[in-house]
Amino acid sequence: MAEPAATPRLTDRDRSAAERAAIDASCRGPVLYFTTSAVVWLLIGSLLALVASIKLHSPYFLTGSPELTFGRVRMAHLQAVAMGWSSMATVAACLWLMCRLSRAELVYPKLLYLSGTLWNVGVLVAVLGILLGDAQSVEWLDAPRYAPPFFVAGLGIVAAWVMAVFRRRQEPHVYVTQWYILAAVFWFPWLYLTTVFMIFWSPATGVVQPIVNWWFGHNVLGLWFTPVAVGTAYYLIPKIIGRPIHSYYLSIMGFWALALFYSWAGMHHLIGGPIPAWLATASTVGSMMMFIPVIAVAINHHMTMRGHFRRLKYSPALRFTVFGAIAYTWVSFQGSIEALKDFNEVVHFTHYTVAHAHLGVYGFVAMIFFGLYYYMIPRLTGREWVSPLLIRVHFWCAAVGITLYFVSLSIGGWWQGRMLNNPNIPFGRIIDYLLPYLYARSIAGVLLTVGHLAFATLFVMNLFGWGRLRSGPTYFVEPEETTPTPTTERAERELIPVR
Amino acid sequence: MDRGMVIFVGALLTFSSSWLGLILFPYWQLNNEQPFQKDPTETPYPLPLQGLALAGKTVYQQNGCMYCHSQQVRSERFGNWWDEHGQMRTGADIKRGWGLRRTVSRDYIYDNPTMLGTMRTGPDLANVGVRYSEQWQHTHTFNPRAINQWSIMPSFAFLYTKERIVGERSAKALKLGREWTVNPGYRWRPTDREWEAILQQHGDSIRSRYRAEHGSDLDSPDSNQRLLEFWLTTEEEGYQIVPTAEAEALIAYLMALKKAEFPLPEAKE
Repeated sequence: MAEPAATPRLTDRDRSAAERAAIDASCRGPVLYFTTSAVVWLLIGSLLALVASIKLHSPYFLTGSPELTFGRVRMAHLQAVAMGWSSMATVAACLWLMCRLSRAELVYPKLLYLSGTLWNVGVLVAVLGILLGDAQSVEWLDAPRYAPPFFVAGLGIVAAWVMAVFRRRQEPHVYVTQWYILAAVFWFPWLYLTTVFMIFWSPATGVVQPIVNWWFGHNVLGLWFTPVAVGTAYYLIPKIIGRPIHSYYLSIMGFWALALFYSWAGMHHLIGGPIPAWLATASTVGSMMMFIPVIAVAINHHMTMRGHFRRLKYSPALRFTVFGAIAYTWVSFQGSIEALKDFNEVVHFTHYTVAHAHLGVYGFVAMIFFGLYYYMIPRLTGREWVSPLLIRVHFWCAAVGITLYFVSLSIGGWWQGRMLNNPNIPFGRIIDYLLPYLYARSIAGVLLTVGHLAFATLFVMNLFGWGRLRSGPTYFVEPEETTPTPTTERAERELIPVR
Repeated sequence: MDRGMVIFVGALLTFSSSWLGLILFPYWQLNNEQPFQKDPTETPYPLPLQGLALAGKTVYQQNGCMYCHSQQVRSERFGNWWDEHGQMRTGADIKRGWGLRRTVSRDYIYDNPTMLGTMRTGPDLANVGVRYSEQWQHTHTFNPRAINQWSIMPSFAFLYTKERIVGERSAKALKLGREWTVNPGYRWRPTDREWEAILQQHGDSIRSRYRAEHGSDLDSPDSNQRLLEFWLTTEEEGYQIVPTAEAEALIAYLMALKKAEFPLPEAKE
């Protein structure tokens, strides 16, 4: 009796495995190009970060040349990690997840090589241009004037390709990850163009510039990195544990609430500044409303994971992703609180904000993209990760590093703010007080960099075919039990990402 | 939500709402602000940067000064602390002497880019032009620790040139002891052996200069140490440190920063 029922199921599985393999093959080149570039920029960005961090407590470190003065290194670091690592990893995620979830192959991949090259040239001229003295001193947009055209062109191609894949979709159901990606590739080009236009190409007057600047600075996280990283978590968590997303309606609510409210935050970066009071208030409201999408996503992810937390013990991809998802909840709550005037008056001009920013772009975004790499790269190269030990080194360096970073600068930053608010405390005492926390940040930076070196080693070894051929994932430790892969029908019924 | 159009239109609308509210409205409200002039005979405020100061703004930009120094003064009601009687007080920015009033949008109408800044690793610079002299600024930019021992600001010695004096010492030369100028950007001390050699060669002249300034108390056990400290604070013979054009421009820019000094009607609390 069991025989006839089992056979078509097996064929179905074979067929969909073949289809997946064809999809992966179609996007292998461009996705690996973007992921490799991202890793290179991550290493360069880490190095720049470390130099900048050490300079803050030891001002005589590398002080002789204009190229390595603190201000320039800091700006170059931001361009390397934001436009290089995070953005290029975001693009890789958009391309691969969109192909998989649409069940469509990537067409004309060659143009995406062009896009990646334009992007790399953009980041390269941004980093070199800043170090050589062409920086703009516009936060997040320090790249010299000759860099934006490269980003605009590269981004345009990516956006068009993601849309094209989506339009060619074979899968009628549009999964939540696809909503986020579609919105992000539409939002970011618009955001970037508007900002570059209003600050550089046709500069607005006076304080309109910082207003546009912070609308960009906040939304680059909120409408570009966040949607794609949250979308990635929405894909990876159910995929790895083989279980559907807890609630379809919560994902809808989370998505629309993010779309509506995140874009309204941003002006809280200017609380107390020379801008109209209503503007800061509007953003404070937007920030408070962010509790809704964040709680929706947090509940959804947590309820999906419930009963499966033991899997964190062996799956690297899951462990990184869940760390990122938890950091997302934490950093968003913190961000909403920071937008309150009473709190903001203390932490506004301090390292507290720096800690918060790094928890967002590293603890949340980068960690989820690490998770994506551990899941996606073997499927593209056909090779497993070569060493569980190196993955473990990467995870613990990253996790301990970002925690130390966050804790030390949050404490130091809070008291820095309290002391700045008291005019009887001379400036020198604030600096002296901060020094131990700044040293702690450098130690955290060393840890993060070591983790990145382990990660890059694994990545390069995988690319050059040093891992064993793919049969099953490389785990931290071998799991006690195996879960059956969800079938297509069950997946459609219960909203597991099918591909 | 299986239709791409729903997502597209939704994303367009939500994003447009913030663009309209946070960008377009402020643009209409603030983009055409004019300088303030009480009556036509008075000079309007603010005035655009010109000449050297304008060039200095570029140096400020290139070196990312705004990542440690803001240029905005918060209102008297902002930022609270408790004084020695446990009384809550506010307005630290103004009490620290960073401005006579809060800054308002009109202070910035000629700024491009507008470098408000978001970080105070160092003090605010909105009115730094009235706080220090030009000479102080040059010394401090060359090596901040020559003025404040605790400073973590980078040395900008690369904006200065060390040259052999031909004829007379330049009027623009920095007035700094040799500990700051022997190795520009760093603080120099001779090793014990070097110091011995120096004493052997120039000992007499150093001692006589010390006596001329401090009287003749060179017999106590720590005299060698005191002599060294004294010698380090004297100027290096035959060499001088002069600002490059970039340094001159940067300081001209800093000296031109006088925001939050001129009274504006809208800045009244």
